[in-house]
Amino acid sequence: MAEVRYENASRIYPGSEIPAVNELNLDIDDGELLVLVGPSGSGKSTALRMLAGLEFVDQGSVYIGENDVTLSPPQDRDIAMVFQNYALYPSMTVAANMGFALKQQKVPKAERMERVREAARILDLEEYLDRKPKNLSGGQRQRVAMGRAIVRKPQVFLMDEPLSNLDAKLRVQTRTELADLQARLGVTTVYVTHDQVEAMTMGHRVAVLKDGVLQQADRPRTLYSKPVNRFVAGFIGSPAMNLIDTDVTSEGVAIGTLGLTLDPSVSSALTAQDDREVTVGVRPEHLKLSTAGLPGEVTVVEELGSESFVHVTVEHRGEPLVLVVRDAGETTTTRGDIVHVDVAGPTHVFENGGARLGE
Amino acid sequence: MAATASRSEAVKKLQRREAWRRRIPLLPALLFTIVVTQVPFLFSLWYSLTEWKIVPPEPRQFVGVDNYVDLFDSRFFREAVWTSILMTVFAVLLSVILGTLIALLLDRKFFGQGFVRTLLITPFLIMPVVAGLVWKNQMYSATFGVFNWVIEGLGFDRIEFVSRWPLWSIVIVLVWQWTPFMMLIILAGLQGQSASVLEAARVDGASPRATFFQITLPHLRPYLELGVLLGSIYLIQVFDHVAVITGGGPGSTNVPYFVFQRSIGGGWQFGLASAYSIVVVVASIIIATFGLRVLSGLLEGEDPA
Repeated sequence: MAEVRYENASRIYPGSEIPAVNELNLDIDDGELLVLVGPSGSGKSTALRMLAGLEFVDQGSVYIGENDVTLSPPQDRDIAMVFQNYALYPSMTVAANMGFALKQQKVPKAERMERVREAARILDLEEYLDRKPKNLSGGQRQRVAMGRAIVRKPQVFLMDEPLSNLDAKLRVQTRTELADLQARLGVTTVYVTHDQVEAMTMGHRVAVLKDGVLQQADRPRTLYSKPVNRFVAGFIGSPAMNLIDTDVTSEGVAIGTLGLTLDPSVSSALTAQDDREVTVGVRPEHLKLSTAGLPGEVTVVEELGSESFVHVTVEHRGEPLVLVVRDAGETTTTRGDIVHVDVAGPTHVFENGGARLGE
Repeated sequence: MAATASRSEAVKKLQRREAWRRRIPLLPALLFTIVVTQVPFLFSLWYSLTEWKIVPPEPRQFVGVDNYVDLFDSRFFREAVWTSILMTVFAVLLSVILGTLIALLLDRKFFGQGFVRTLLITPFLIMPVVAGLVWKNQMYSATFGVFNWVIEGLGFDRIEFVSRWPLWSIVIVLVWQWTPFMMLIILAGLQGQSASVLEAARVDGASPRATFFQITLPHLRPYLELGVLLGSIYLIQVFDHVAVITGGGPGSTNVPYFVFQRSIGGGWQFGLASAYSIVVVVASIIIATFGLRVLSGLLEGEDPA
């Protein structure tokens, strides 16, 4: 078990000018589950593969524990990886798949079998040890891939979208099992996903990447309540935060006719910046339907049972704008209603370049 | 009840019509195949049960299975069978091994890959007779041959390759022609291997050697089997190379050439020759059956796990 450290690590693919991963600095604690999340092309998988040794590190360095592994081949890094398509060895049985790495390390057969059985017990795979991967279901294959990783007792687990080939229900179930397993084993884990819900639910900390640049690495709650920029604000949270471009006036900022009371730190930052235009962000649960406030027409009502999301078209700067508002599960609002929207919680303000203003 | 009965009648009629709609376009091809392969085969089968000499002309006589009995008694036939086996086994094995090695080299990216691949495939595209002539006259020949030019340049005596090693002279040309075929099959297999499986092996600490023998080779197994079986089916029928290079010289007469010698090649014993060819057909069918089974197993495919 060990810490992992990226120091100004960059990867520039041959023939490309723009780095796939650009000067990444990241410290991962011993036993931590860190999730790398971002849209496709954000460099999250590349960052993971740099740690695995499957991609070159063109600049900077990567450390596992005290060791600089920047130039080490994968087999010398003491890591185990779970691939998106599981990458099981098709010609080998489940047991042989799980014991393959130990066999390469010349672990005696008896000990090898013992460790494979133990991992199989943990993952509920004991009765499938003699099967070939093609005779397993998707969920079982996923568990074999996990088993192959845990049998090795490595310093670090690397997981590249390990749940994305499962169906939605199994994915949610496996997500919890995986997080639990990681906590029990206490092995430092780097987990890549494009699914922000997966990131938020599993990660001790979540690192958001965009275009190869690390945007923010924080605990899920901090990421949610204090996004450092417009991108993180829009990426984290489902449904997404309402992001409204608006002008700064002497009274502050407003959505349509609805004036916003701002945190003093934001107001002082606003005057100091003297920005003509800013972006205001409000999460759906921080808006409410009320008797007073900004009038608008309901266009869509998404009922989820425990809550519902009401899409309200309001007028802002003379143009229609859709705001998503969370409402109670048993809402009576329907399409076509005229409602009023009011702010009922914290707001976020981002400057023109996207960075957060104030605290 | 009457309504349901007529309904099921109607469904049956529709199914029959649908079945014929599928069959009709296949009929011309089927007829053609029967005319050019099955009818001559039946004639051969009939001839093989007769004694039929043309020079000097004699009336055709039905002799039952005598030809088959003679054939298995004949030392020359047994020698021809043995030559066929040696020729096929050596040519197939060597070309599979060479083809695998070349495919492994071609599977990595390098400058001019497409060009090199095209050059490597060329021998397979050359007509067997032409290949035989080229090798006989330009490579092996004691007078004009490239080999002897090199050997002489190195200060050794000229060697009559073809008369000294008749079987090997043919096997080498067969290997030269069939290596590209094997290479193509193996290359397809290699490119069908998932890149992440190889990456998983690297992360698991497997050496390149271990990766090849424990992961790549098992993955290639059906492709190797296919190559061996298709190669065997074709190479057991080799005629051109034998005719052109050695003309059936010592130890190089395989069964097809032997059949030729006994019939239109001068023996004029059509009944006996037909019996030989029937034996070859039966042997080929046995090999082909295995081949097709492997092929269909391959098409079902391994599940991308």
